[in-house]
Amino acid sequence: MAWGSNGADIPVDDDDSSVAASGLVDHFFRHESGRLVAQLVRRFGADRLELIEDAVQSALLSALTSWGARGLPDNPSAWLTRVARNRLVDHLRRVGREAPEVDAGARVSAPAEGAFDDEIADDELRMLFVCCDPELPARAQLVLSLKLLCGFGTREIATRLFLSDDNVQKILSRGRARLRALWAERAGDWADPAPARLERRLPAVQAVIYLLFNEGYSSQREDQVIRRELCAEALRLGQLLVAHPIGDRSESWALLALMHFHHARIESRTDAEGHLLLLSEQDRGRWDREEIRRALAALARAQQGRFSRYLGEAAILAEHCVAPTFEQTRWSEIVDLYELLEQHCGPSPLYTLNRAIALAEWQGPEAGLTLLRTLTPPTWLARYYLWDATLGELLLRTGQLDPARRHLERALRAAPTRGERRIFERRLGECGPRATTTRGS
Amino acid sequence: MTKYLFLYWNPPAPDQQPSPEEMQQMMAQWSGWKEKFADKVADMGDGLQHDGRVLKNGQVTDGPYAEAKEIIGGFSIIQAASYEEALEVARECPITHMPEASIEIREMMGY
Repeated sequence: MAWGSNGADIPVDDDDSSVAASGLVDHFFRHESGRLVAQLVRRFGADRLELIEDAVQSALLSALTSWGARGLPDNPSAWLTRVARNRLVDHLRRVGREAPEVDAGARVSAPAEGAFDDEIADDELRMLFVCCDPELPARAQLVLSLKLLCGFGTREIATRLFLSDDNVQKILSRGRARLRALWAERAGDWADPAPARLERRLPAVQAVIYLLFNEGYSSQREDQVIRRELCAEALRLGQLLVAHPIGDRSESWALLALMHFHHARIESRTDAEGHLLLLSEQDRGRWDREEIRRALAALARAQQGRFSRYLGEAAILAEHCVAPTFEQTRWSEIVDLYELLEQHCGPSPLYTLNRAIALAEWQGPEAGLTLLRTLTPPTWLARYYLWDATLGELLLRTGQLDPARRHLERALRAAPTRGERRIFERRLGECGPRATTTRGS
Repeated sequence: MTKYLFLYWNPPAPDQQPSPEEMQQMMAQWSGWKEKFADKVADMGDGLQHDGRVLKNGQVTDGPYAEAKEIIGGFSIIQAASYEEALEVARECPITHMPEASIEIREMMGY
């Protein structure tokens, strides 16, 4: 173990100076962890998952000690690959009964790198399908993916998913045990699962990628509204998915389009001071044309197939992204698309809420409010800050300042990020002083 | 210049392993420390495995670490003019970020 083997509460700077200090790109360790686990699982078998995880962890700890003291090796990735693999082979040898197939010359001294780029991509996609075993609860699939594929630690997963550390630990150990049992049942079939089996896992794989993207795009973390690296990771997995015959489906393309559309606007969602902006306030000149082009191309591929939730949502984003100005947005199309989504996916108060927002832009705030009045929000929605924010906004526009203020104040109290609080503060400012207020202006 | 041995004491079984992201942060902290005190860090030393052997009166036992509250997790060698100067280096050592860890500082005899 290294000097720093105790992981207790290491302060992790968000605006880190690690690149300068260590010479490594951001998240190098995390990405390498995912890559190595995926690669070793394919070479040595998923039934050795825990040994593989230990070997990878041990290789990373060695890197921490060795690189910290002596500086970086010429090729850090190759260094880690070699050490992790050797640790695993050594362990399997010690255990004895195992005779790894790599026995002769197993202690690789200089793995070729670069040449395996495609192979690595496939390893990771395969790992994603392994994590998304339909026998596992959806949450376990997500937690396993974040751990094994994205290289997040238990605490980091807990923070991101609003779970306790213990909970994440339990989900992980149960998930691993369940996977092990399933692999045993299927007698190694996991390694090259039948296409039909992969096909069944596709929705779960898509859902995990989308969750990952949303985690990055609408992070609840203070002062870090946009966690780009999670989005980038989800995009990378989405691209891997459509590039593979198994994933090459309308829903996957729609999902990819959806993420590209969001990603295209990621820079424009905040102003120069990093404050969150409303869609109507965003500078459309800052939208990434190249990303929109990619999104539209993916959407075109998706539209060759059947309607899905991803397709509906991507089509709505397409309307926003191609509209030259906020005012020129084709709101009627967006209203129709939300209706289509409600028909396809079943009634969803969130879709109705969004339809009301679009309707308000199309036919005026009264029309939006009228639609919202037909909706009895379930408790979770009534407590959701965007419900109050929407009502407050529409009431403000119809000049009903007192009720508007009430809703905006509630939205302000419940808003999870500073960026959103600023928006509600600004809106509250527009409501003017409280009618009953006697102090001040 | 006198040499000082820094012994890093850790709880033997950390509840949780550091995550890859945390490891990268730690590495950056260690390299930063090494860079800042380049003229004082004589030897960055090494980390130590948690298990070991103890030889005493001809008897060999496995490291007594299972029961120990703290074990030595690593060491470095620092050269400094005085304990005060060595402490300056220690105060900025990344180990100090770990609430349960401590640094024992011992002047070396220089035999």
